[in-house]
Amino acid sequence: MSDVVILGAGIHPFGRFDKTYEEIGSYAAAAALADAGVAWRDIQAAYLSRMYLPATSGARILRRLGSTDIPIVDVEAACASGGVALRQAVLAIRSGEADLVLVLGTEKMPRGFMDPRMIYSPWQVEMGMSLNPSYWSMRARRHMYEFGTTDLHIAKVAHKNHRNSVHNPNSMYQKEFSLEEIINSPLVCDPIRRLEICAPNDGAAAVVVASRERAAKIGGHPITIAACCHSIARFSADFRCPADSMSATANNPGPTEVTAKQAFERAGLGPKDIDCFEVQDTDAFCEIEIYEELGLCGLGEAGRLIDEGRTEIGGDMPVNMSGGLISKGEPVGASHLGQVVEIISQLRGQSGKRQVADAKVGLAHVLGAGGNCAVTILKN
Amino acid sequence: MATEHQAPKRVAIRDGLLTEPLDDLAKVRLQGSRCRHCNEVTLGRNAICPNCGGIDMDPVALADHGELWTYTVVRHKPPGDYRGPEPFKPFGLGLVELPDGLRVVSPIEGDVDSLKVGTPLRLKISVHHTGAAGEDVVAFAFAPRL
Repeated sequence: MSDVVILGAGIHPFGRFDKTYEEIGSYAAAAALADAGVAWRDIQAAYLSRMYLPATSGARILRRLGSTDIPIVDVEAACASGGVALRQAVLAIRSGEADLVLVLGTEKMPRGFMDPRMIYSPWQVEMGMSLNPSYWSMRARRHMYEFGTTDLHIAKVAHKNHRNSVHNPNSMYQKEFSLEEIINSPLVCDPIRRLEICAPNDGAAAVVVASRERAAKIGGHPITIAACCHSIARFSADFRCPADSMSATANNPGPTEVTAKQAFERAGLGPKDIDCFEVQDTDAFCEIEIYEELGLCGLGEAGRLIDEGRTEIGGDMPVNMSGGLISKGEPVGASHLGQVVEIISQLRGQSGKRQVADAKVGLAHVLGAGGNCAVTILKN
Repeated sequence: MATEHQAPKRVAIRDGLLTEPLDDLAKVRLQGSRCRHCNEVTLGRNAICPNCGGIDMDPVALADHGELWTYTVVRHKPPGDYRGPEPFKPFGLGLVELPDGLRVVSPIEGDVDSLKVGTPLRLKISVHHTGAAGEDVVAFAFAPRL
C-alpha cells in the first residue's frame, strides 16, 4: 500500500471577515499549492470539508483557481468534517485513482450559538435542549462529581490555550486572560464560562496530499500521514448533541478512545510517542476529558495533568500549541485542517514562540455532533 | 342556546414520546421501548432497537421517578424556536436516571441554584405551549420529589 504524504499546507486566519467563503477558501487553497510547489492544473481530485456552506461549495471555491474537470466533492461530518475529507484523499491515493489531491476546509458562520435546526429535532429546540454548551456542561458536572475535577482545572485549560494563541497570527483572539478573568467570566451553562468556550467563525485551511512516489518527483519536505481515521460513536457511547437519552447499562468505549486506538495501531505508535497534540477544545472541559480518552493519563487523572503543567508547550505532552479552538474559534469545516496545518508547522520547526522542541510526531483530534470523531497522526 | 365549550386538542411534543391518551395528564408517562433481543430500554416508541437493530420491540411506560445524574443551568435563551416562558428565565437541564435503565435529557424544575447530583425527582407532564393550529402541546419535565 502506498505511503501518503502532505507536500504543502496553507491557512486563511480564523476570525470574522468581510469576505465571502469563496475568497477565504481559495486563499487557503492557493497558499497550500504554493507551499507544495504544485500547480492547480496538476491536482487530480479535491475534497472540501464544510458544514454550513451551500451545495457544491468546493467547486464554487476552487473554480477561482481555474476550471479544470477534476472531481471536487464536498464532505460533511460535523466537527470531524476535515478529518473525513483528508481520509477521502488518503483513500483515493491508496486506491491508485490519484496521486496528487487537494484537501480544503472552509467555513463561514454567523455569530452566536449555532443554528439548532442543523443538529436537533424541532421538539428539542422547542423545549430548550438545543444549546451545544449544555451537553459539554453536563459531562463536565458529572466528571467533577465522580473525580473531583474543579472549576479551576477547567479554567487552567482555557488559560493555557488563550496564552498559547498570543503567538499564533492565525488565531481569532490572540489575547492572554488571567485565571481570575476566566473564572469570573459569565456562566454560559454551569459550570462552563464564556472564556472557556469557542466561538463559531470564519476560516479555511488546506493541504496538498500525494503518494510518496509522486512527492519524491516534486521534491520538498513531505510529512507522512501515519494514520487518518474516522468513526462515529457506538450505541450510547458519547453524551453529545443531539442525544435525547443515554443507556445506563451499555458500556461502550467513547469515539475518541475507539478512533485513537485505530490511529495508534495504523501508525504503530502509542500516546507516549506523540510529541505534540491539537485536540477538540470546543470548551475547556472537553480538553480535560480528551487527555483521558487519548490515554495521556488514566481515567479521572486529567485534573492533575493540567495542574502539573504537563500539557503546556514546555511540558512533556504539549496540547493545543496553536491556542486551540477556544482562541482560534471553530469554523467547523476548517477546524481539523487548521490543526493539521499547526502540526505541520511544528514538525517543520516553523512555529516560532509556540514551537515544541524537537517535534517529530504530532496528533490532531476532532470530535462533534453525533459522536463523529477523527484522529490524524503526522510524522517527519 | 348554550355554547358548547370544547377543550383544545392535545398532542405530544414529539410523536411517540408520551403514553396515550393525553386527557388525564396525571396518568401520562414517558413512552419507552424494550428490545426483546438485547433487553435495552430506549426512549420513545421505537420500531427498531437503536442498540442492536432488533425489530421485536415492546412498548413500556417508563417510571415516573428517577435521580439527577448530572445537570447544568441554561443561562441564555436557547437559539431558534424555543417555546419556554417569556421573558426568558434560566432553567435547569439534566440527565435523569430512571430505574428502567436509561437516562433522559429533561428540563429540571425548581431553584437552579439548589440542583445536586443524586436529587430524587418525579415526572411532571404539562401543557408546554400552544401549537400552530391552536392545539395544546404536551411535554415533560422532572421536579424535585418533596
